[in-house]
Amino acid sequence: MKAVRLIALSLVLALMIFPLLWMFRVSLMPPGAGLSLEELISPALSLLPYQDILTSGKMALFFFNSLLVGVVVTVANILFCFLSGYAFARHPFPGRRFWFYSVLFVLMIPSHIVIVPLYIMLHKLGMYDTYWALILPFAVNPIGIFLVRQYLETLPTSMEEAARIDGASELQIIFKVVMPLCKPALAVLAIQVFLTNWNSFLFPLIFTSSESVRTLPVALALYQGHQAIDWSHLMAGSSLAVIPVLAVFLVFQRQIVSGITAGAVRQ
Amino acid sequence: MKSISISFAILALLLLLQCGGGKTDGVVIEWWQFWTDPAIKPTIEKMIADYEAANPGVKINITDLTWANGHEKIVIAFSSGTAPDIVELGSDWIWEFASTGQIAPITDEVVKDTSLFHGWTPATLDSQIYAFPWILGTRVLFVNNALSTRAGLKDKYVPANWEQMKLLCYKIDSLGEDIYGFGANAAEKHTLYKKFLPFYWSTGGRIISEDGKYAVISSDRCYQALKFYKELSDSCGMIDTQRRLEDAFLAGKVGVIISGDWLLKRIKRGNINIDFVTSLIPGPEYPGKSFVGGEYLAVSSKSPHQREAIRFIKYLTSKENQILFCKTNYSANPSHKEAALDPFFKDDPNLMTFVSQLRLSEFPPPDPQWVYIEDIIETMLEEILFKNAPMVETLYEARNKIQKLIDSK
Amino acid sequence: MKRQILAGNFLASPWIVTFLAFWLFPLFYSFFLGFTDFRLMRPDYNWVGWENYINLFRDKAFIEALINTFIFVIGTIPFTTVIALILALLVEKKIPGQALFRSGYFVPSITSMVVIALVFTNLYSRDGYLFLLAKMLGMHPPENGFLLSSKTALLSIMAMDIWMSVGYYMLIFLAGLKAIPEELYEAASVAGASGRQKFLHITLPLLNPVTVFVIVINSIKSFQVFTEIYVMTKGKYGTSSAVYFIYESGLNRFEFGYASAAAYLLFVIIAIFSILQLGLMQRKHY
Repeated sequence: MKAVRLIALSLVLALMIFPLLWMFRVSLMPPGAGLSLEELISPALSLLPYQDILTSGKMALFFFNSLLVGVVVTVANILFCFLSGYAFARHPFPGRRFWFYSVLFVLMIPSHIVIVPLYIMLHKLGMYDTYWALILPFAVNPIGIFLVRQYLETLPTSMEEAARIDGASELQIIFKVVMPLCKPALAVLAIQVFLTNWNSFLFPLIFTSSESVRTLPVALALYQGHQAIDWSHLMAGSSLAVIPVLAVFLVFQRQIVSGITAGAVRQ
Repeated sequence: MKSISISFAILALLLLLQCGGGKTDGVVIEWWQFWTDPAIKPTIEKMIADYEAANPGVKINITDLTWANGHEKIVIAFSSGTAPDIVELGSDWIWEFASTGQIAPITDEVVKDTSLFHGWTPATLDSQIYAFPWILGTRVLFVNNALSTRAGLKDKYVPANWEQMKLLCYKIDSLGEDIYGFGANAAEKHTLYKKFLPFYWSTGGRIISEDGKYAVISSDRCYQALKFYKELSDSCGMIDTQRRLEDAFLAGKVGVIISGDWLLKRIKRGNINIDFVTSLIPGPEYPGKSFVGGEYLAVSSKSPHQREAIRFIKYLTSKENQILFCKTNYSANPSHKEAALDPFFKDDPNLMTFVSQLRLSEFPPPDPQWVYIEDIIETMLEEILFKNAPMVETLYEARNKIQKLIDSK
Repeated sequence: MKRQILAGNFLASPWIVTFLAFWLFPLFYSFFLGFTDFRLMRPDYNWVGWENYINLFRDKAFIEALINTFIFVIGTIPFTTVIALILALLVEKKIPGQALFRSGYFVPSITSMVVIALVFTNLYSRDGYLFLLAKMLGMHPPENGFLLSSKTALLSIMAMDIWMSVGYYMLIFLAGLKAIPEELYEAASVAGASGRQKFLHITLPLLNPVTVFVIVINSIKSFQVFTEIYVMTKGKYGTSSAVYFIYESGLNRFEFGYASAAAYLLFVIIAIFSILQLGLMQRKHY
């Protein structure tokens, strides 16, 4: 039985990573080579695409920008989405329904429509072409709030009540009791937010123009020319871009499975 | 909590650094452009540096645009009143920007240059000039010489008219199961119509009558061109997207395709081993016509430095700089007529094909409604080529739709 | 009680502030524009009332895009949800190579959609691996590749989308599974419940809020499918989606008023869909 499961899992695994192996293979093609079957299974290998990217100097800056924005936005989201999500799940404050709907509202409007007025606003606020334009509007992600709220609904309230009876302050309850219980959800949130930001293209493209604040996806888009795609460089850059997200995933996925589980809750 | 405060401290520091640039005295000209390829960008940067050195007090601030969504960035900036001083526009975008008053008419400043340059058609609206032609690009016929000789044709054979082209494609197509005669475009936005219109134009046909009052696409000429194109596409065409057709051509799987100078550049840069010849696009009789588009430079109507901007544009488009640009980028169609006389072009038969084709090529009709007309033509082509819709009826339908657009003005 | 109210407002303030500062104006502004004939780059516009909305219902291209969007949503969400849940259940148990499987399944979600879409454009083409694989398996793929045929283009994009998103939703299910108290399973085992009974009576009901999240978020995202289509087919071969239509008319043809109306129409559809899902599924739990 166990063997069957392992084989099934491995087959699915092969299916899942195959297109990424293709991407990696292309990233090792000599620049200018074609993508036909014959060429891809040929032993031609070239590290030139990687070398070009790693030595082009500015890539380090774009990488740093992406990392900076990603880390700040992720940290902000973990804190803010947790607090807001907690309020929506546990505090019956007036207007709760309204504000919760506002979360969904923002999610449901296509970004191509709001991007124009948002651009005008950021310009008026003097944030255009600064890190702020990439951070502030995204510091509280509606999906994150929704996730935390839904997650808290699966958790029993018994521990919070017990702490309240023991005379713990609201802050203590939030950070010492609820937050640790939410660890798996916050880990998912961290991965999701970092990932979305790391790959975000349209907003950074429209909201910035200088190289000093350019992010990686915008820089990589430059390899997609008007008439031809520079496949090997684009795929090499994309393969490199996977690494930080993978690192974030590996760090946080442990939190998802090894965090204090609700099983520890004394009923 | 600690990590949060640290990140914010770093951020604050960076923001301070960013603002610390300080203001320079004199004129700063913002320029948005698309040439970001590492092979050409340094040349552009050098041109700027030379210009700044020769013109103290003027600074050129360059911003890279990406082909993916770069258009949107321009549109959003212009409609929000935050446009750069100079913007690079594709030829088919100029009308929309001109008719909405977003870019400044520069007629008086450039009227003396008009005879020196190609490509004023798309830059002109209601007899005012709104943009300066920079690097143009036409399409020519590429023939895989190895395949055509294998098919029994003499070395370096190129077809002169439709009959010969058909024969050539058929012969190559019969070479093998996985070898196709003609690279026929699939339904691909902004691409398919550019491949068909040359054949229509070659018959002397027009889309809109000369006085701009009537749609005339349902003519017999268009029918003939469509019939010819559909026959090629159906009987010996590999139907795929332009990029993939070019891949297939380079891999020796397609005998004849229509493409631009970017393909020459790709062959050259990638050291691709392929035996090919280029030629003018054939018409029913020799010679035919091709499609041309290009990159233009325009000045925002809100720019406070219009004079300085035009001066810089003239510098960029000067004969010397265009030659330099074409040499570095392997571009074939400088807008400056004298630039095209440089030995760089003369010594290369393939580049010369482009230079000659440019004189035999057309821009889409200058019409602010072109985006809609383009859409109608593409839909018509898709219906006829891929859904086998009846040709005459579909042509009439398209004509009526275009006529309706003209009448609604 | 008063303290609670204050605390609630205070805790929710990050969102309230962000919403008021960055989203309220864009939302209202575009809602307003939906009732005008505003075109990008033209400063003057007129109030046209419901005309845009009426025209949308007459616009064949929009209706087609809307139908495609529905096909996309209905055709992907059940698969994504079920596969993600199965994967989560499989990798939750202790097995050799657990971390490897988990990361492997998640990796497709990591790469940017643009890059993935470019990769699949190749895999689906006439000499791509997926095309050749289909041929080897005796299927008859359309001769010009999967993306250049109205029969298969949308389905191919949907398949890619499922491939790409199951890992992400698996992760959310994994987090949700962790919140279910272990004692419940132990008690059920003592009472002699079978694995199937435990799944139906403990796992599914307790996982419900997370399942609701997965389905609602996935619906919202799928209703807004855009990037794949923009990169792979530009809306040709019967793949135009609602947001692709909005993009085309708003940012390419500059009919921003019209596009805004389309966006709000889509919003209403998504909202009804989500409220139905929230209402139907939440109730079961309480």
